Amino acid sequence: MTYNEILDLLYGTLVTTGIWHFQWNVIIMWLIAFFFLYLAVVKKYEPLLLLPIGFGMFLVNFPMVPLMGWTEEGHGELLRIFYHYGLEWEVIPCVIFLGLGAMTDFGPLIANPKSLILGAGAQLGVFVTFTGTVLAGFTLKEAASVGIIGGADGPTTIYLTQHLAPQLLGANALAAYSYMAMVPLIQPPIIKLLTTEEERKMKMRQLRPVSKREKIIFPIVCTGVIALLVPSVIPLMGMFMLGNFMRESGVVGRLSETAQNALMNIVTIFLGVSVGATMSAEKFLSYKPLFIFGLGIIDFMVCTAGGVLTAKVMNLFLKEKINPIIGAAGVSAVPMSARVCQTLALKYDKTNYLLMHAMGPNLAGVIGTAAAAGMFIAMFS
Amino acid sequence: MKTLRWIFFSIILVFVSPAFGTEFLGLPLPEGKVLEKTDTYIKLEVPQSHEEILNFYKKLLKDEKDLKYRDWAEMTYIEDDGARPWHSINIYKKQGQNTIVQVNKDKWTWIIGTLTLRFVAVFVVLMVLQIALNISGQVFKRVFKEEEPKKA
Repeated sequence: MTYNEILDLLYGTLVTTGIWHFQWNVIIMWLIAFFFLYLAVVKKYEPLLLLPIGFGMFLVNFPMVPLMGWTEEGHGELLRIFYHYGLEWEVIPCVIFLGLGAMTDFGPLIANPKSLILGAGAQLGVFVTFTGTVLAGFTLKEAASVGIIGGADGPTTIYLTQHLAPQLLGANALAAYSYMAMVPLIQPPIIKLLTTEEERKMKMRQLRPVSKREKIIFPIVCTGVIALLVPSVIPLMGMFMLGNFMRESGVVGRLSETAQNALMNIVTIFLGVSVGATMSAEKFLSYKPLFIFGLGIIDFMVCTAGGVLTAKVMNLFLKEKINPIIGAAGVSAVPMSARVCQTLALKYDKTNYLLMHAMGPNLAGVIGTAAAAGMFIAMFS
Repeated sequence: MKTLRWIFFSIILVFVSPAFGTEFLGLPLPEGKVLEKTDTYIKLEVPQSHEEILNFYKKLLKDEKDLKYRDWAEMTYIEDDGARPWHSINIYKKQGQNTIVQVNKDKWTWIIGTLTLRFVAVFVVLMVLQIALNISGQVFKRVFKEEEPKKA
């Protein structure tokens, strides 16, 4: 073997390694991935999603890894297949909604239908942020996908972003789940700012019991209304209500349990890894993700304010007043924001239990965010 | 006489120059006479049919993303959903050989209008659902009241 042959062999070996193609920007992506892994593992902020997202991000930010590309035969590599069939085809968010529906008890919402209005009021930030995002130079479709972050509903954010601005999927999903995890930090100061101590101490009458039949009829009524008024969002809401119908009917326990547990867990893994895999350095490292994170927090704050202010406006007309704190739960983030309302109310009155009252607007927020997403889809169709 | 000739030439130039293909906010315009022009819109009378102008823009914008074409009774409306400096092109369907074309800059009236409308629409959707829940709640209440004594 000649000297040149040895050199050529070494060179040939070296160029097939990642070291040869290494670029400094992947280090930034590793740091971002480690930050989200830290939030998931150490801080336990939305670990079910931030862990696979963080790891997916870490995985794809190595040179030459065959994960998100296409093979010479023309089929996708591993994570590309997850992404293609799961997210590009908009399957995973809908399947997650099926599981969420099977996990959800709509009793508090059925007992107090007024709370639906709070769920609508809390969408204020979605529309305000849209304006801010356009001012920042984003396209209208991108603005809609960023605005929906404030709805605090991960699957809806992913569904809408994939539909309108897939290039922002990673940043939007990450912002939505990160801020959802930070709801206990974001919401209380805004609630305190917009309410008096008297209002925070306000007690609400116990909710009426809801019959099994009412719970069974709810998904059918809700599907009918949404399908007629906002048909573009029925893939999400239809699955949500199917899951809930399976739960409440009580005749398909196995299906309901599978949707809540096994199926939900499987798609969560695929969702997280696929979202993380979209965040390669060349796509992620731009000014847009920074803007999205900045606007996302404003979005959450305005949505919280929108819910609280809607409750205050409603109190002007209602005989039986509602505690404005529960308006903040209108930003979905189920059940985190309802718990935040409960904790805050208990801080001012140890006997004031608002959890079930806050669950109503919390669930209404899920429907409200889906309705807002449907409005945006209709706007660009 | 020389001065008069220059004035005459200048007047001709002012009126004729817009008839040549120009741009408005970076968007090429078909050759035609400018009827109105402000900072926010330009209105042209073009000696071409509606279809010819539509084809002109379709060809011009064929590789562009985030555009919406609407075929309305009185006009074809091309809307920018991206971040272009212009917002919309109205190609009016008018009888006769000339067609009116208007290019608009104003995005914000549209954005604020559509957002307000859609925010209100979210309320409407949830209010309809609320009414549906109230009605079904009342129906169930009555049915139960009627059923309970029967059982007893």
